[in-house]
Amino acid sequence: MSSVAPEQVADQAVVDDGAAHRESIWAKAVYKLRRDRLGMIGLGVVLLYFVVAIGVWLGIWATEWGDVEGPKWAPMSAEYWFGTNIIGQDIFARAIYSTKTAFEVGLVVAVLSTIIGALLGALAGFFSGTWIDEIILWLKGVLDSIPFYLFVAAVAFALTGNPYAMHIAMVSTFWTTTGRLVRGEVIKLKNFEFVEAARAIGVPQVVIIFRHILPNTFHILLVQATIVFVAAIKSEVILSFLGLGVQDGVSWGLMIAESTQEVLAGFFNNFVWASVFLFGLVMAFNMFSDALQDALDPRKVASE
Amino acid sequence: MSTLLKVVDLKKYFPVRGGMFHRVVAHVKAVDGVSFELEKGRTLGLVGESGCGKSTLGRAVLRLHEPTSGQIILNGDDLMKLDREALTAHRRQMQIIFQDPYASLSPRRTIAQTIQEPLDVHKIGTPREREKKVEELLDVVGLRKQVLSRYPHEFSGGQRQRIGIARSLALNPNFIVADEPVSALDVSVQSQVLNLIARLQREHGISFLFISHDLAVIQHVSDDVGVMYLGRLVELASAEDLYREPRHPYTKALMSAIPVPDPKKKSKRIILGGDVPSPMDPPPGCPFHTRCPDAMPHCKKAVPPRVNVGTEDRPHFVDCHLFTEEAAT
Amino acid sequence: MSSEHTAPLLSVRNLVVEFSTRYGPVRAVDDISFDVYPNETVGIVGESGCGKTVTGLTLLQLIPMPPGRIVQGSIKFDGRDLTKLSEKEMQEMRGSDISMIFQEPMTALNPVFSVGNQMIDVLRRHKNLTRRQARELAINMLDTVGIPAPRKRIDEYPHQMSGGMRQRVMIAMALSCGPKLLIADEPTTALDVTTQAQVMEQIVKLQDEFHMSMILVTHDLGVVAESCDRAIVMYCGNIIETAAIDDLFHKPQHPYTRGLLDSIPRIREERVAELPIIRGIVPDLLHLPDGCRFADRCPRATDECRKDKPVVNIDPVTGNGVACYHPMG
Repeated sequence: MSSVAPEQVADQAVVDDGAAHRESIWAKAVYKLRRDRLGMIGLGVVLLYFVVAIGVWLGIWATEWGDVEGPKWAPMSAEYWFGTNIIGQDIFARAIYSTKTAFEVGLVVAVLSTIIGALLGALAGFFSGTWIDEIILWLKGVLDSIPFYLFVAAVAFALTGNPYAMHIAMVSTFWTTTGRLVRGEVIKLKNFEFVEAARAIGVPQVVIIFRHILPNTFHILLVQATIVFVAAIKSEVILSFLGLGVQDGVSWGLMIAESTQEVLAGFFNNFVWASVFLFGLVMAFNMFSDALQDALDPRKVASE
Repeated sequence: MSTLLKVVDLKKYFPVRGGMFHRVVAHVKAVDGVSFELEKGRTLGLVGESGCGKSTLGRAVLRLHEPTSGQIILNGDDLMKLDREALTAHRRQMQIIFQDPYASLSPRRTIAQTIQEPLDVHKIGTPREREKKVEELLDVVGLRKQVLSRYPHEFSGGQRQRIGIARSLALNPNFIVADEPVSALDVSVQSQVLNLIARLQREHGISFLFISHDLAVIQHVSDDVGVMYLGRLVELASAEDLYREPRHPYTKALMSAIPVPDPKKKSKRIILGGDVPSPMDPPPGCPFHTRCPDAMPHCKKAVPPRVNVGTEDRPHFVDCHLFTEEAAT
Repeated sequence: MSSEHTAPLLSVRNLVVEFSTRYGPVRAVDDISFDVYPNETVGIVGESGCGKTVTGLTLLQLIPMPPGRIVQGSIKFDGRDLTKLSEKEMQEMRGSDISMIFQEPMTALNPVFSVGNQMIDVLRRHKNLTRRQARELAINMLDTVGIPAPRKRIDEYPHQMSGGMRQRVMIAMALSCGPKLLIADEPTTALDVTTQAQVMEQIVKLQDEFHMSMILVTHDLGVVAESCDRAIVMYCGNIIETAAIDDLFHKPQHPYTRGLLDSIPRIREERVAELPIIRGIVPDLLHLPDGCRFADRCPRATDECRKDKPVVNIDPVTGNGVACYHPMG
């Protein structure tokens, strides 16, 4: 191979330190996120909830959530911080334990529906205009057109006794938005010259999708996952309230469901504390999710 | 000299869909019957204005855009007759360099991964040998080893273009399509990259199909030059002949339109009237007759045939009625 | 040249424009001074990032503030300091006394209004006209800039026009209120060569007719050579040379100007093996060297150049000036 002309050596010298400030969109995003006050508060609160959930999962606290240990409807006291419920269970322990349930549902649904949405969206986008795209769009259309709670009820009945009926129902409807967004992004990306370059080299199509295209939709997937996470937690509450949700254990939704009789009798502790816990997490997660979306918005990032 | 690439009557029509059922309502005739030959170790420059189909032609020759019809014979094999597997194998011989250095490198892959990918795909050498090859390639394009673990966004346009060139050289191709490789770069960087391409052609004997809208750039790298207008080659000759004596009225106008960086030489402009017609509905007859200063009534009726106005050994082809007999009479 | 006798129309002194970034402030324009005389065309040339576009935008206070900020300096136009005007006064100035045309006519025109509506708006904002009068004037202007069938085309939307047409509309709009100064930022860069020639020709002709001064911001020295009286060369936010057009092209004094002129791809008599280049790349505005900003790439640089930054000394007779310790002979 030939040697390098002298003028190029000068060029090289600049490569090493030059342009050090040109950072990836991730570095910029982290920088923007850290300056977003509300977003950081949101993230802090979410992490706090997460630590609580991990503690429950490890069996460090709230192990007595199922024990009937006190009198019925005990008021708030040093022993029972949030009082007790209709059969004398500690509301504080149940509210804490429910954090784990919420994260479990949120994470499972967010991860699975993001993966499915990414895969189907990428396939539809890459093969847009072909029968593959048509089938995926049709499936999405069908799922979107069935009312959500009707669909969940149907799945719950079809899978009676299966503790994951609720998760399956949520995943199979929540992936569609992610799928649509990914499809649009992939249609944009597949016309970029780096994708053509890969084709010119002879890279197989599947490899092109996974190696060159999907990694560039990561910002969408991340934001979508946080949105689905919140949606799943909220839906869980409503589904549990309707008796279609969590089958064993306890959740904020179940607590609110069992509180209906109590509220009629004038005891609000169960209802209020479950709602406060739910509201705190959803609110914090939304704040974080908004900040993340702002930080990763390519238009805003590019203008910096 | 022997022929490396022969393209015969290549066409690429893009369907335009519309109406209720996404029916094909029209075609954009991006490349409309182009024929040329490229000899081993030589460069054919392809010049034309935006929308003339030159980039589509470059991609169609590589079957990155599936041609509508025609023949592409590379080293004796008709690429149009190959199935996908055989085509992938043939991709080792032919590569492409892109226009936009910001869009042509995968943003989430390191420089090492990008340059090594062709070697991985075609399973060439051991991993150690591949790494060594990548380092050699960097040396050829004038970049240092230290860049390997970095990402594209850390580099300037000129440096990215060098990385793209290194990638295209990885498989030792004997044919490269260079699609406007310098038009996105600043003037001072432009000449650095042009010199690199000229050197590669000299030292590695690679044949280039060099596409550009800039006649000056084309002159620097090309042995032969083709001028495109509305999906067709209207003039094809050796660079020397074409620049000394352009024959087609369009080529003449194109030459005269280039601003000359010398205030004392105010050029005599041939100002063309009107705009380029839509390739969806090209005019009948000669595609250039709507703007041609020398148009004759005959030009509106018949598509001009290719005429050799040079000699047998030094052909100079023009598709223009000014040089046909029936129009002269 | 009129420069010795009349007062300048525009006089920029020690202008500094800074942008705040997360890595600290960046001076896009760093202490520049220049004059534009009545009826004169001044070219501001340089490569991307040299500050030429920011200069043009700052004259009209069109840079986004923040992150942009005029740190110091004055912009005297017709006796008034533009940096001291309120936003409202500036709005009256824009489009009437000073107009601007941009590189991309598609993004500068609003796609949902017809061309006529947009022109009438501009006219009525600055002149006391009825809708009908404004429309007549707009049609006249379209005719003046060479749009065929203006009475029909005035009701068309931007997307129905070609790039060249749209740029003509932009020019018609910019000139409709009879400005004294036109700032043209890369007015032909987005256009094809043949269209470029048409549009540039038109601009120069109109400038004569309307007795305006013009600042032509461009990277294309060819365009400058053909249409400017004087040129300012910028590098990394500084003016490094200013000279009458003939002097600049035939006796460039700054090594960068020289290198830039040499490296333009131009049509030559003979094909050359190596194009002349400027080695290295433009330094990063965040990490500028202490001395001359071109020193690292300069063949004539000495220790002196690396220590202190040279300033432009204007020769009172010729009006030329260069910021260099070792100017070319």
